[in-house]
Amino acid sequence: MRKVLALLLIAMLALTAIPFAMAEGNVLRYGTETEPAGFDPHTVSSHASLRVMAQVYNQLVDVNENLEIVPELATSWEISDDNLTYTFHLADNVYFHSGRKMTAEDVKYSYERILNPDLGALGNSSSYAGIVDTVEVVDDLTVKMTLKEVNVTFLANQSSSYCSIVDKDVVEANEGSLLRADGGTGPYTLGEWVADNHVTVNAYDNYFNDAEKATFDAIEFYVMTDANSRLNALRTGAVDLIVADTAMLDLVNEGDDIQIISYQTRDYVGLFMNCEREPYTNPLVRQAINYALDREEIIDFAYNGTAAISGFIPASLGHWAVDVTEKDYYTQNVEKAKELLAEAGYPDGFETVITVGLEDGIRDMGIVAKEQLGAIGIKVEVKNIENAQYIDDWKTHNFDIMICHNGAGSDPNRGVAFFFSSTGSANIQGYSNARVDELCVLGAGTTNVEEREAYYKEAINIILDECATATVACPMAYFMASPALQGYAPNASNTSNFAGVTLAK
Amino acid sequence: MRDYIIRRLLGLIPILIGISIAIFVVMQLIPGDVVSGILGIEQTPELREMWEKKLGLDQPLVQQYFNWITKALRGDFGESFRTGAPVFPEIVSRFKISAELAVLACIIAWIIALPLGILSSLKRNSVIDRIVRVVALMGVSIPNFASATLLILFLAKGFNYHTPVKYVSLFENFGGNMQIVLLPAFVLGSVMAGSVMRMTRSSMLEVLRQDYIKSVRAKGAPERVTIFRHAFRNSSIPIVTLIGMQIGSLMGGTVVIEQIFSIPGLGQLTLTGISQRDFPVVQGCVLFIAFVYVIVNLLVDILYTYIDPRISYS
Repeated sequence: MRKVLALLLIAMLALTAIPFAMAEGNVLRYGTETEPAGFDPHTVSSHASLRVMAQVYNQLVDVNENLEIVPELATSWEISDDNLTYTFHLADNVYFHSGRKMTAEDVKYSYERILNPDLGALGNSSSYAGIVDTVEVVDDLTVKMTLKEVNVTFLANQSSSYCSIVDKDVVEANEGSLLRADGGTGPYTLGEWVADNHVTVNAYDNYFNDAEKATFDAIEFYVMTDANSRLNALRTGAVDLIVADTAMLDLVNEGDDIQIISYQTRDYVGLFMNCEREPYTNPLVRQAINYALDREEIIDFAYNGTAAISGFIPASLGHWAVDVTEKDYYTQNVEKAKELLAEAGYPDGFETVITVGLEDGIRDMGIVAKEQLGAIGIKVEVKNIENAQYIDDWKTHNFDIMICHNGAGSDPNRGVAFFFSSTGSANIQGYSNARVDELCVLGAGTTNVEEREAYYKEAINIILDECATATVACPMAYFMASPALQGYAPNASNTSNFAGVTLAK
Repeated sequence: MRDYIIRRLLGLIPILIGISIAIFVVMQLIPGDVVSGILGIEQTPELREMWEKKLGLDQPLVQQYFNWITKALRGDFGESFRTGAPVFPEIVSRFKISAELAVLACIIAWIIALPLGILSSLKRNSVIDRIVRVVALMGVSIPNFASATLLILFLAKGFNYHTPVKYVSLFENFGGNMQIVLLPAFVLGSVMAGSVMRMTRSSMLEVLRQDYIKSVRAKGAPERVTIFRHAFRNSSIPIVTLIGMQIGSLMGGTVVIEQIFSIPGLGQLTLTGISQRDFPVVQGCVLFIAFVYVIVNLLVDILYTYIDPRISYS
């Protein structure tokens, strides 16, 4: 008995001594936080999937970090005077991963797939390709799209993954679904997917754009839900790059050989008050809540002091942004807040529920907001719920106050109309102002940038002054990497661009 | 015996149907649904309608359940709402991983627990006994996620070592697979060892007090024979019962350890399924886990007859 045990133990120890066949060649190992939900660019919105699909698929155009529209599969384009017809000229050397050459027919097929009501494609909404009326093949490398209505952000919106160009043959060979198949043209091909462990993409030699050719033989995306494991894997060299957050900054020690990479997002976090529900129907109450908040304190507590005070069009959107720090109600004034509450008919405050969920920053904000609103007599109960329920409450407007983390997009058409016009599909707080609606229509109907800026700024100021929300901050996004990783410069337009990135080994 | 096994297996059918109804009802009752998860912020009423139709969620609830069960009875557990992957093959591939982890954890637990438990019962109230009892209590009390995190941190900081992050299967690369699985198995095994050790000790003490042990000793049997053939064998029924229950719970209950060590097991699949409201995945996983649980317990019951010939099911 004892001998058997001893032998077993020795055998087990011996096994651990066998060197594990490590990934060979020039491979980037990337520790990410969630499991992807399949890789059909037209139907999947999961963040983890987008990260992978960005390597596998291309769109007609791209948006760079300065929010300029740049060529991708289309080398150039013309827009008709009435802004309704777009003619795209395609690159002549694009090959799908199947080896077949991409032509105008494929663009037509891809857009028809997006517009097919049976697919339920995410791009089939007015924010993306939903306003396309007809797609016409002019010749092998020219395609003409006619829109149902004018939308000047149409071109920029075609840079979304939801408007990827896909290989018809692959779609058909896989019974209409690309969830587990590769119909792309990107710099990497979709490789092995071991669910809840890793996805591999492999370099595609025949990629059309030499400047953005794969620099790695492969990129391996690991699912490592536990932040501590992720950091330790990086520390010991088991991975080269990890997704991080502000809470993880505290875990990095002085001696750790880790580079921290960050960028200012185009996201914002804030308290969304339900304008359809008492007492938030009253703008005075909403204003009082804005006055009650000490945004610096929230940022210190929830974001390690690294986020910037921001409205719903963050400064990272450049000239579209409005400086909220000039607004009186972005500076805490408890007396003023109490006065406003009394004026609104709530001298003793009221009881309310703040719904939080999704991520740590939001949960932490709930805790601080509870304290700060308590100071003006509002009794807050913080309701912490899990993801699916959070999205459900979000969708059904089932909340008093909900703390949200939104992306303002790359154009105010998204940041303003999508979230604040009465028909905006993300207008969860039920805010409605006739002039704002009118300005959103005007802003989407002209290409003149100065005019657009004037329209949107007017709308932004109205929304801010009526305190439709109490936005707090524009957070930073973080990655951590081994010092050997060079050239990785994520920005708010693109965090998954590995063109030119190398590992000095 | 054969009749008994058949009876037990037939008894499984109403249990599984009952569980499947319970899961279906619970999945309907919890807020949030899979379509919200798929569409996220891009949700519009039109898109929502399309997806509900596509996934068959626009049909009446009873119809939805009926559709699922008629397919399931034919052995088709459907496809994941989220990834489109067929559910059953996915469960089987995850089960292999979880089963390997569970079996290894058990072996480690036995290696630690049985000798120490027996030793502790023989040297009752001695220093060794006290040390073993304290260690066992620690094993039971320290949550496995804490010991796992500490272990990972210790290896990273002390030895600059991390278990390989890329999962390889047992048959593909035995050494590589062991490097991934041994540490989490050790964490799970050490927790199991605590309770097995305590059970072994108390059960052994119970038996050692019996008159027939005295008779065996009076007969002049060697101590080894007394302890292993007479005392341990007779005290092993509660230990085997406990181990059976532990293996069952290891099937789906190791999700925290799986997350910490990035192991794609059955628990992880179930949890992802629940959080995405992916009904076919959750239904398939829970039924499978229930099935395994019942089978393991059946095996334990059969094992009783070998340990104690007085037990018979005929």
